[in-house]
Amino acid sequence: MKKVLALLLALTMLFALAACGGGGESGGGTQTQAPANNDNQGGNDNPPANNDNQGSNDTPANNDNQGGGTEGGSSELAGEYNVTIWCPDLATDLTKSQVEAFNSSNTMGIKINATVEPVSEADAATNMINDVSAGADLFFFAQDQLSRMIQAGAVSKLGQGASDFVKSNNTAGSLAAIQAGSDYYAYPLTADNGYLMYYDKSVIPDEDVDSLEKLIEDCEAAGKYFAYELENAWYNAGVFFGVGCHSDWVTDDEGNFISIDDDFNSDKGLIAAKGIYKLVSSPCYLNSSAQEGFDNNCAIIVTGTWSYSAILKSLGENMGTADLPSFNVDGTDYHLGSYRGCKLLGVKPQTDPKVGAAANQLAQYLTNKECQLQRVETLGWGPSNIEAQSDPITLANPAITALNLQSEYSVMQPNIHGSWWDIGKVITTDIKESDGSDDALRAALQKYYDSIQAVFTMSDEVKNAWTVIGAIGGSSWDVDFEMTKDGDVWTSNDTFDLKAGDELKVRQGKNWDVSYGNGGENYVVEADGTYYVTFNESTTEVALVPAG
Amino acid sequence: MKKYSDLEFLRLSKWQKFCYRIIAFFCGIPGAIAGFFLNIGKTIQKGFQSFIAELKDIAITFTTGDWKTKVSYIVMGFGNLTHGQFLRGIMFLLFEIVFLFYMITTGGYWLSMLPSLGHQGPTKEYNAIYDQYTTTYNDNSFKILLYGVLTIFFIVAFIYTWRANVKQCKTINMILKRGGKLKRSGDDLRSLVDESFYKTLLALPLTGILVFTVMPIVFMVLVAFTNYDGAHNGYSNALFTWVGLDNFNTLFSWQSAGGGQSYSATFGEILTWTLIWAFLATFTNYFLGMFVAMMINKKGIRLKKMWRTILVMTVAIPQFISLLYVSKMFARNGLVNLTLQGMGLINSPLPFWENPMWARVTVIIINIWIGIPYLMLITTGILMNIPADLYESARIDGANGWQQYTKITLPYMLFITGPYLLTSFTGNMNNFNVIYLLTGGAPTNSAASGAAGSVGYTDLLITWLFKITTGAESQYYLASVVGIMVFVVVALISLVVYNLLPSIKNEEDYQ
Amino acid sequence: MATKEKTLVETQQRHMGMKALNRISNTAVYILLTVISIVWLLPFAFILLQSFRVESTSPVGYVIPQQWGLDNYLQLWNSDFKRWYINTFIIALFAAVFVTIIQLCMSYTLSRFRFKLRGPMMRFMLILGMFPGMLTMIILYRVLADLGLTQANAVPGLILVSVASSGMGYYVSKGFFDTIPKSLDEAARVDGATRLQVLYKIILPLSKPIVIYTILTAFMGPWGDYVFARYVAFGTSAGYNVAVGMYSWLTNDQIAQMYTTFCAGGVIVAIPVTILFLCLQKYYVEGVTGGAVKG
Repeated sequence: MKKVLALLLALTMLFALAACGGGGESGGGTQTQAPANNDNQGGNDNPPANNDNQGSNDTPANNDNQGGGTEGGSSELAGEYNVTIWCPDLATDLTKSQVEAFNSSNTMGIKINATVEPVSEADAATNMINDVSAGADLFFFAQDQLSRMIQAGAVSKLGQGASDFVKSNNTAGSLAAIQAGSDYYAYPLTADNGYLMYYDKSVIPDEDVDSLEKLIEDCEAAGKYFAYELENAWYNAGVFFGVGCHSDWVTDDEGNFISIDDDFNSDKGLIAAKGIYKLVSSPCYLNSSAQEGFDNNCAIIVTGTWSYSAILKSLGENMGTADLPSFNVDGTDYHLGSYRGCKLLGVKPQTDPKVGAAANQLAQYLTNKECQLQRVETLGWGPSNIEAQSDPITLANPAITALNLQSEYSVMQPNIHGSWWDIGKVITTDIKESDGSDDALRAALQKYYDSIQAVFTMSDEVKNAWTVIGAIGGSSWDVDFEMTKDGDVWTSNDTFDLKAGDELKVRQGKNWDVSYGNGGENYVVEADGTYYVTFNESTTEVALVPAG
Repeated sequence: MKKYSDLEFLRLSKWQKFCYRIIAFFCGIPGAIAGFFLNIGKTIQKGFQSFIAELKDIAITFTTGDWKTKVSYIVMGFGNLTHGQFLRGIMFLLFEIVFLFYMITTGGYWLSMLPSLGHQGPTKEYNAIYDQYTTTYNDNSFKILLYGVLTIFFIVAFIYTWRANVKQCKTINMILKRGGKLKRSGDDLRSLVDESFYKTLLALPLTGILVFTVMPIVFMVLVAFTNYDGAHNGYSNALFTWVGLDNFNTLFSWQSAGGGQSYSATFGEILTWTLIWAFLATFTNYFLGMFVAMMINKKGIRLKKMWRTILVMTVAIPQFISLLYVSKMFARNGLVNLTLQGMGLINSPLPFWENPMWARVTVIIINIWIGIPYLMLITTGILMNIPADLYESARIDGANGWQQYTKITLPYMLFITGPYLLTSFTGNMNNFNVIYLLTGGAPTNSAASGAAGSVGYTDLLITWLFKITTGAESQYYLASVVGIMVFVVVALISLVVYNLLPSIKNEEDYQ
Repeated sequence: MATKEKTLVETQQRHMGMKALNRISNTAVYILLTVISIVWLLPFAFILLQSFRVESTSPVGYVIPQQWGLDNYLQLWNSDFKRWYINTFIIALFAAVFVTIIQLCMSYTLSRFRFKLRGPMMRFMLILGMFPGMLTMIILYRVLADLGLTQANAVPGLILVSVASSGMGYYVSKGFFDTIPKSLDEAARVDGATRLQVLYKIILPLSKPIVIYTILTAFMGPWGDYVFARYVAFGTSAGYNVAVGMYSWLTNDQIAQMYTTFCAGGVIVAIPVTILFLCLQKYYVEGVTGGAVKG
C-alpha cells in the first residue's frame, strides 16, 4: 500500500507541474511578435507619435507633426492600456492626477488605466531586476541604477522620436544621465539629485555657513549634530570632487562597465581625506541624511531637495538653505563638492510594440515641462526641463536655488558600477577609524584604489586594444570607438566626419593610462573630411586616412 | 591513550575523569570520521546490491509471470484491473497516462535543455512602425533549471510507481497461487483509516515538503554550480550556464577578490562572529531566563502570575515592531542618547551602532531582552518538575542555595534541555530577524567589504547571504555557495554535539 | 534544663535569622523583578505614548507627547494600512487552521506509527532543516509567480508557502504526543477502534494544550513575516502584509512623516495578538514545556 502513497504524491506533484508548465511554455517556446504591421516598414520610418503636446488639452494642433507619421500613429495607438507605475509614496497622488490629465488631453485616443504603486526609487531598481516580467511598466528610479537596469534588460531603449523629444527638452547634464554608449534609455524627471545644506538658523549664524570649521564649532558649542552622510559614497565622493579629483566610468553600448578612471588616491585626494577627517573626528558628526534630524538634535543636515517640505515643516522660518561650506587645509579653502544627478522615468521593455509606444507616450507626457513644474510646486523636485528650470515657480524655491549655487562645485553623476557604492563608502569608515595622520589617510585611499581596480580585471584582449576617443562622431570624449589590428597598425572600424580643429586621441584599455594623440597632446584635425583613424603601435603615431 | 575499564574509571578523581572524557572525545574523532566514511562506503555497497536484486526481481517476475503480468510492464495497473482491483488499477493507469502526456508535451523539452540551460537569450528588435525597441524573450535558463529538476523528480516518481506496479503483479500471482483472497477496493479504502492510516495522514504534509522545501533546496544547491547572478538572470538578459566548481574556488581562494581581503577571509571572519554570537545568544538567554524563572518560582514571592504575564506579553508583540523601535531608540541621535545627554550623564553620544564592539554587545543585550521571556516559560515548567524531595534531602545535608543549584538544578536542566540548547544554538546561527531589524549588519567592516558586497561587523552568515542575494550584483551563485557552507557548519556542529549530549537516548524511553 | 533552653533559643534565633534572610532576599527579588518588568515594558509603553503624539510626526528625543490626539490613528485609517491588516489577518487565520492540521498529522504519525521509512524520513527532515531557509526565497518566488500568486495575489501565495513547508516543524507537538501513554491507544485498539477513531476519540481530547499552542504560534507567525512577504508582494501595496507595509514607513524618505503612524500601527497590530496570547497563555506554557524540550 506504499504504492497508494506514492501515487498520491506523484499526482499532487503532477498538478503542480501541470500548473507551472502552463506558465512555462511562454518562456520556453518562441513568442512571435505581431507581424501584421511589418509590411509598410520601408515606407514609413517616421516616428508615428512624437507628441510634444505639453499638457494643454485645448491645443491639439500643437502636435509636433514630423512628416505626417502622427495621423497614422494616433489611430494605431488608440485604445485602452493597463499600465502600472511605481513612484515614491509622496508623488503617488500627483502622478495619478497627471495620468488623468494625459488621458483627457492626448489626441491619439490613448486611454491609460493606471495603477500607481508607492515604491521608492531604490526599491524600484531592485524589484525590476529581480523579476522584469512582474515589474511596473513605468517606474521612477535614480540615475546611478541605469547601467544595472540596462544590463538586466529592465529598461527599454528609446526610439528615434523619443530620443528627439528628450534631446530637445532637457539640459545636457540630464541627457548624459540617460545615455549609455550612444543610446538613450530613459526620460529625465528631475535634475535635482544632488545635495545642499539645510541648517537651523536659531543655532547657526548665517555668516558661518561658508566655513566647515566654523559650522563644526557652532555645532559642538550647541551640543547639536552636523548630519552629513559621509559613510555613503554618494556623499563622500563629493569632497574629492571639491578638491579637483575626478572619477569617470566608461560603459559600452550594452551598459557593461569597461573601466574606471579616478584619482582619489593622489595628493589632491589626501586633502579631501583631511577635510573628511575634520568632520568625522568631531563629536558633532552624524552619519545621516534623514530629514527628521531637526526634530532630533541636529543643527545641520546635508540632504537633497526631496526633504524640503518635511524640513520646512519641522523648522518653519528657522530653516536656512545654503550650498555646501568650504574647508581649509594648509591655508587654502576648498569648497565641498557634490554629485549632481537626475531621477529618471524608465519604461519596461515590451513584447508588443503598440503597448510600448503607448507607454512611451505617457512617459513623455509625465516628463514634460508642465508635469515637471507641478512637481516643483507640490514636491519641491528640481526640473530637468530647460524651460522649467528658468520658470519663476522653480526660482522661488530656496532649496533648488541653493542647489543651483552648489552646482558650480558639483559633478554630473555618471553611470556607476554597483559595487563602487560599497567600496567607496569604506573610505570614510577607514578615515574615521584612523588617527588622521597623512600615512593613515593615504592607506585608506590606497585600499580604496586596490579594491576598485580589482573589480575591473579586464581580459588581456580588452586591456591591450586601442580605441579612438574625442569630440568626434557626435560624442564628446565619452565614447570609445573600436579599432582593428593589422600588423603594427590599428585602424578604426568606422569613418568619422571631421572638421579642422576637432581633437581626438587614441588610448589603450579604454582608460587614460596610456594614450597618444600628437605625442602626449590631443591630435588636432587639420582639414575637413571623412577619415579613418590609424595608429601605429611601434611608432606611437596617430594619423588620419581619408576614406573612399 | 590508556583505556580504563569501568572500575578503574570510577576510581579516578573528578578532575581526572573530566580530562579523560575530553581526551577520549578527541581521540574518538578520527575513528568517528573513518567510521563515517566506512558507513558511506557500506551504504553505497548495500544500495548497489539491492539495486541488482531489484533488477533481478523485475526480470524474474516478467519471465515467470502470466500474460497479464507481462502486459502490466507496459500498461501499468493492467494486472490489478484484470484481477478486480479497480481502484489501484485505475490509479496506476491514470498516472502512466498523465506522465506520458506530460513528458511528450513539455517534460521532454525541459529535460533536453537542462545540460545547456538554454541557447538563445532575449533579442531586441527595432520596430519602425511604432518607433519602438521590442524584446523577444527566448530561452529562460531559470525555468529550464526549475522545470528540469521537477521533471527529474517526476521521472523518479514514475520509476518508483512502475516498480510498485510490477511488485503488485508479483504479489497478486503469489496470493492467487496460495489460493488466498485479493484485497478489494473497499478494503484498500478501509485500510487507509486503520492500519495504513499513517499514509493518509502523511500524504499532504509530505507533498508540501517535497514541492516547497526539497525541490527548492535541490534547485539552489544546483545554482551553486552555475553563474546565475544579476548580469546573467537567464531571462531578460544573458542566460546563465553551468560553471562546475568555479564558485567554490572563488569562495575558498585566498586571493584578494577586490577589497582588502579574499572571500575566504571574509567568510572566516563572519563565521567566527556567527559562532560567537550563537554561543553568547544561546547561553546568556538560557542562564538569565532560568534565573528569572527561579526568581519568580521562589517560595514566598507573590503575584507569580503577574510577573510571568508581564514578560510573556513581550513574546506576543511581533518582533518587527519591537526590534525596529528599539533599533531607532539606540541610534546615535536616538531616544537613549538624547535622554542621557539631556540628563548630563554623557557628553558625546554613545556609539551603540557605530563602534564594532559596542554594536555586537548591544545586539546581544537586546537579544536577551527578546529571548528571556521565552526561556523563562520553558524553564519554569522544567523547574517545577524537579522532584522537591531532592532539594529537601540536599537541605538536610546542609547544602546552601548555590550548591543546590550546581548539584541539582543545573545538571537536571542541562540533561533535559540538551537537545533544545542544540536547536537553539543552530537557530541563533540563522537568527536573521534580530540582526537585520536591529542593525542591518552595521557598522561597516571596511576590510571585508568589497567585491563581496557590503559586510558589517554584526553580519551573520545568514544576513550576509541575504545581502549577497539582494545586493547590487545579485550574486545568487555566491549566495548559494554560502548557503551550502552554512549547512555544512550547522550539520557538523549538530553531529558533534549530538554525540556528546547525555540526554540523547532511545526515544522510546520517553513513552 | 538550661542547655535545652539554650538550644531552643538558638534554634529560634536561627529560625529568626533565616526568616530575616528570607525577607531580605525576597525583597531583593521583588526589586529585581520590578526593574525587569519596567525594562521589558518600557519600549512598548513608549510606542503607545508616541502613537498619541500630535505635535510632530518624526522621532524625537522625548517620550511624553506635548499634545495628545488620535491623528496618527486617523492617518492609519486613511492609509493602505486597513488592507495590509486584513491581508495579514487572512494569512494568519488560514495558516492557523492548515498549519495546525498538517503539523498535527505529521507529529501524531511520527509519534504513534512505526513504519519502514519513518527513521530515514525523520533524519532526512532534520538534514533539510539545516539548510538556511533564506536560500530558497528566490526559487519559491518564481514558483509562486508561475502560479500567479505574487504581488496582488500574494496573500494566497504566502498562505500556500507557509502551510506547505509547515510539516517540518513537527518537533514540538511530537514531543507532546510522546508524553501521552501508548497504552491508551492499545486498549482502544483491543476494543476494536480503528486508528482514525483512536485519534479523534482518545488522543485529540487529551491534546488540547498542544493544539492551542500550535494554532497560536501559527497565527502569530504571519504578523512578523517581513523578508519573504516583501519578496513576494513587491511593488504592490494591495498584497502587502503589515510588516512589509509598515517597514516602508521607517525608511529614510518617509520616517519624518510616518514615524508616529508606525507607532500607532504597532499598537493596533499588537493588541489582538497580545489579547489572544494572554487569554491562551496557560496552553502556550503547557505546549512549550510539554513539547519543546523533548524535541
